[in-house]
Amino acid sequence: MRRENHPGRGFAAAAKAAVGRESGSAAVNRCATQNRIRLAFYFCLSVALSTLSASISAAQDLRAPSAVTAGEAVSISTTGSGKATFYLVGPGVSNKSDVALGNEISLRGQDLRDAGQYFAILCSDSCHSASFFVAPAKPASLAFLVHPSRVPVAASDAVSGVALAFDQFGNLNLDPGTINFQLTAGKTSLLSRDVAAHDGVAWFRTTSGKSAGPLQVVASIGELSARRNVQEVASEPCNLRIAGQRTKDGLVVQTEPVHDCAGNPVPDGTIVSFTATDASGKSTVDAPIKHGIARAEIAASGPVVVSVASGVAMGNELHIGGGQ
Amino acid sequence: MKTILTIIVVATVVLVAVGLLGAGQTKSGTIGFANGSALPGLTPKADTPEQAVTNLLNDVQKRRWDAAYGALSKTSGVDEETFREEWQGSNGSLRTFSNLEGSELRPVHATNDDAQIRARLRWTTPVGPIEDVRDFRLIREGGLWKVVWPKQQVANVPAQVVPVTYLRWDLVSGDGKDEWGARNIDPPHVRIVSMNAVNSAEGSAVMGEVVNEDTVPAFVNVGATLVDGGGNPIDDENSFDKIDHVLLPKQITPYRIDFPGIDLSKVKNVRMDIKASLVPASADPVIGVMNQKIDADVQGRSVLRGELLNQSGQTVNIPHVIASFYDNNGKVIWVSDGYVDRALLPETSEPFSVDIPRSLAGKVQSFHVVVNQYSLGKS
Amino acid sequence: MSTAESYSRPIPLFAIVLVALAVHGPLLFMQLPAGSFDTNFHIFFASHYASHWFDPWNVKWFAGFSQTTYPPLTHQWIALLSNVVGLKMGYMLVQLIAVMLLPVGVFRFAKIWVNERAASYAALASVFLGALAFLVYQAGQLATVTSTALYLNALPYLYEWITTASGRSFLKGVAVSWTAAAAHHVTLIFGVLFFALPVLWVAILDAREPVVEADAHDPDVRVRDEGERVPGAVRGVLLRTGAFALIVGLGIGLVLAPYWLSILRHPVRQMPIPHDSRSNFLLNSTTAINYFVIPYGALLLGIPFILVRGARARRLRPLLFGFWLAFIFGLGGTTPLPRWLLGRAFEILTFERFTFWATLLAMPLLGAVAVSLLDRFASKAAAAMALAAVATVGAALWWLNANPYRPTAIVDVNPVIAFLNRDGHDSYRYITLGLGSELAQVSTYTNATSVDGDYNSARLLPEMTNYGSAQLTNAKFYGSAGMASLRAMLEHASRYGLKFVFVHDSYYEPLLTFAGWRKIETFDNGEITAWSKDDVPPAHTISSDAMPAPWEGVLWGTLPMGVSFLAIFLELWLPERRRVVAPVGVPVHVRQPYVA
Repeated sequence: MRRENHPGRGFAAAAKAAVGRESGSAAVNRCATQNRIRLAFYFCLSVALSTLSASISAAQDLRAPSAVTAGEAVSISTTGSGKATFYLVGPGVSNKSDVALGNEISLRGQDLRDAGQYFAILCSDSCHSASFFVAPAKPASLAFLVHPSRVPVAASDAVSGVALAFDQFGNLNLDPGTINFQLTAGKTSLLSRDVAAHDGVAWFRTTSGKSAGPLQVVASIGELSARRNVQEVASEPCNLRIAGQRTKDGLVVQTEPVHDCAGNPVPDGTIVSFTATDASGKSTVDAPIKHGIARAEIAASGPVVVSVASGVAMGNELHIGGGQ
Repeated sequence: MKTILTIIVVATVVLVAVGLLGAGQTKSGTIGFANGSALPGLTPKADTPEQAVTNLLNDVQKRRWDAAYGALSKTSGVDEETFREEWQGSNGSLRTFSNLEGSELRPVHATNDDAQIRARLRWTTPVGPIEDVRDFRLIREGGLWKVVWPKQQVANVPAQVVPVTYLRWDLVSGDGKDEWGARNIDPPHVRIVSMNAVNSAEGSAVMGEVVNEDTVPAFVNVGATLVDGGGNPIDDENSFDKIDHVLLPKQITPYRIDFPGIDLSKVKNVRMDIKASLVPASADPVIGVMNQKIDADVQGRSVLRGELLNQSGQTVNIPHVIASFYDNNGKVIWVSDGYVDRALLPETSEPFSVDIPRSLAGKVQSFHVVVNQYSLGKS
Repeated sequence: MSTAESYSRPIPLFAIVLVALAVHGPLLFMQLPAGSFDTNFHIFFASHYASHWFDPWNVKWFAGFSQTTYPPLTHQWIALLSNVVGLKMGYMLVQLIAVMLLPVGVFRFAKIWVNERAASYAALASVFLGALAFLVYQAGQLATVTSTALYLNALPYLYEWITTASGRSFLKGVAVSWTAAAAHHVTLIFGVLFFALPVLWVAILDAREPVVEADAHDPDVRVRDEGERVPGAVRGVLLRTGAFALIVGLGIGLVLAPYWLSILRHPVRQMPIPHDSRSNFLLNSTTAINYFVIPYGALLLGIPFILVRGARARRLRPLLFGFWLAFIFGLGGTTPLPRWLLGRAFEILTFERFTFWATLLAMPLLGAVAVSLLDRFASKAAAAMALAAVATVGAALWWLNANPYRPTAIVDVNPVIAFLNRDGHDSYRYITLGLGSELAQVSTYTNATSVDGDYNSARLLPEMTNYGSAQLTNAKFYGSAGMASLRAMLEHASRYGLKFVFVHDSYYEPLLTFAGWRKIETFDNGEITAWSKDDVPPAHTISSDAMPAPWEGVLWGTLPMGVSFLAIFLELWLPERRRVVAPVGVPVHVRQPYVA
């Protein structure tokens, strides 16, 4: 029989939501909604099966355990005598076995690995049933999704993460307790927040740090933790300034080291556009930043006005006279 | 029997003669690059300047270089190899991929012994048809007209060492288990910074500019869907080659999306769609655009002309110029593009020009040029 | 038997067929036509029938097209044989059968005009025709050759039916004509003009004057007996011809009904595609060699004699007229006559087939010339003619590698096929650039679909029909029109799910680069490169009103094959009655000087 990990579907939905750039709350809402739908389904199934079995007969007694944890073996006590057929129906199992009435029926832990509503049905002359709920075991793994993978520094509400706790059998733990989120840039702690999970999901959203580099994001619950990295990159160039000098063929202009407003060096390869205007027209060179500086040679004669821009950020203008 | 034979032979000869007379009027195309030659005596003599140029261009079209060179005047100061290279191109330039497909001739002036013919040459190239206007000077030699081919001054580039320290981004795929979550890496963040829709000569066009706001290179494609009053899509097209698809960080590119045959008055809404993905890229080569100015060409049309200067150590085989033109409000009112048919050798420059529609020429206040490029073996 | 005596007898037809097998069999089993222009196209069509016999809608080209746009018989036979010998060998076998049927057809057709001896030489000469080698090994025109061979076999039945009212000839003539049409419709349509009209003409001559006195002195012209009166005279001939034409026409209408329906639904309105066979050969030496010198070969030397022979005997004049007309048509744009007579169809047809027909129409006349030469020069003439025949077919084979139109060297497309068949790549469409007819080979063996295709008449996508060019894979050969068509298709790549481009010609790389494609893989030491565009969504079905109805598929899958079986059955069930050859009353050893 195919085993289906139903709580995993909730995880998949959450993962899909996170990857698909849904907000963290949207992901949580979707996840919770799916859990509710699943629970409602099992409730309806249990009512239907209970009604069915009660209508068949109520002559014998079957006592199901009150609280069961996924993966743990339990036993069900029966009354009466003679032989009977026992059915166990659950989210990931459907078993049939012959039992002796009056003895206890042992349920193996491997039959109870999926959390959810189970039905125990005992049939001899007539059929009796009882239901019980298998709760997820304690968290054994954390699914942790962080978005985005690359973020400009000092961007408000730009980093978000969502964590879901699963037991060793892949059951979503709907009540794992509090999950701690820690954000660290280098040795500086940017955030440490305890978030209580709702319907098994905990999430955060925060502003990115001020320095470029890897941002470590850790989610932990008890001894469990999951680590993700986000690349914090420089923001738009700020205070773009150029200097230039005339050569025999024209001009050589170069920027001062290019930084963003937080002082982070803009990555090499970023394009800086130099524009020189003289009597013969306009000349432009799109030069990449190398070692923090962009440099260009421009053919120009006479008085020249040189301007600079990178993306939508403008820099200063440079006026170079013709006689120099 | 004789009568029948006579009828058959005469009918055949007459039909072939009529076929020869009408050959110039039919537009029967040819597959492949025209080659082969007419039977001896069937090529018209160059007894007019137009016929001399026509013969020369026919030989060029069929790549009969000996015949073409033989038709030049003795006063031409060009050797056959240079002459051939001028038509065939060199260094993997666009001209080396091109074929002369047709021409229109117009006499500029003519005397008994001297004439000038202006030829509009139509080339077929991998990137589309290209037109070229060229003036031919002819003189009469021994009763026949001959083309005088002037010696071209070719830039003599001495061997030099140009440092190549280009930056390069490569894609390294992760195993999906690492902490960077490489499989879920975000696409580059690009943004349309301006958009304008106008009616054009062929229909309508949507144009503007796109910037890569990210710190990694981006492959960008811009699409647009025209929507009518009822919310129904009329047509969807994309920027195709009228955009620089690979944008380095903070680089801006113009784009233009053509909608042939669609009048903008029928359009209620334009739905823009920009797609970006992470691609490997190189910051080389750097091509400067020098001495740009709006001018008029020999035919009196407004063009933006300037020079491309290759500031890198590698040959750029096919440069592609894309220019956006702004009005006095800074709005993009047209995007034009053009291919340069000569290769850009390291540290050398080549002229370029791109057309500006006559109706918009007066409104242009400023412009922005970007250069896209194709280098052999580096796609 | 002396040498001279052996020349004085007809060559047995069986021996001629063996010669055809000996000459063409090894070439075909070496798969020489595999590099021809159309072979892969025919194999591609056959491969579809092999897996979808009753569904002529093929999604592999043009984002879906109907194979009812091309008569199916040869393809269905290949499909049938492919179950035993595979597709490629299936093609070779069908081609070989057609090549062996051709001398049989020429022999029987020639006997309408000349005596059996001359007819046998005509049939033998047809084995060595340059035009045949050109069509089989360079052009790969399987259907034209097959249909022509069948049609030549049908014409003697037509002649016998209209001159003798023979019921069995009528039945067999009708069945073979239907089969010829099921192999290639164009051949039959133009065959009426070039082949059937001369036959009708000579039948009328025979009806008017059973023994043409004027031809009585000509030993090689077929002479009818006094007893061979034509029933009903000229009126009878015309009535029987009408009946034959009506039945054949109705049958062809039914057998090829899905074809006619597809033509009615989508008349050919695409821009004309240039073809060198339409150019003026006098202005282009290469074209002249390819479409005139090679197909005619040494036959060119015989043309004056053929003209004289055809003009001299009154009974041969219809044939001479048919030959001359086909000859003029075969010259393409060298004369204006084809353009005047065909109108717009001139821009659609290719003209090498007319040269082929002209050579076939010349065969009976050539047979008569050969007999005269043998009678006069015996072994010397035999040696010269044998040399000429071998030189003709040899030149055509040499030209395969020497001509500038030859398909590019065969490349290994297996990596391309493997690429398309793995990792879900077949959920996108693809095109090839510079692969020529290898496109059809890729299409045959991949699950992926293409927007391109190597068959002009089935193209309905506006990106192709609006431009005067054929396959996208050969775009550059069509100049600006070809590149404009390719550009239009690449512009709409997202619309068609066109994600992959396989390039075997660096000419196309600049366009792909500027249009946003990126090189992703290299095959066969860089001979072929794979290019991809990132933002293209998976292909979806393109709806088309050209899709044939299911009943058309059933008709298409049964009738063409059915009529070919019917023809075979009738040939076996109603064997030909051997005509008693009337003594010609002419000495075998003619010592009179040959008069040209």
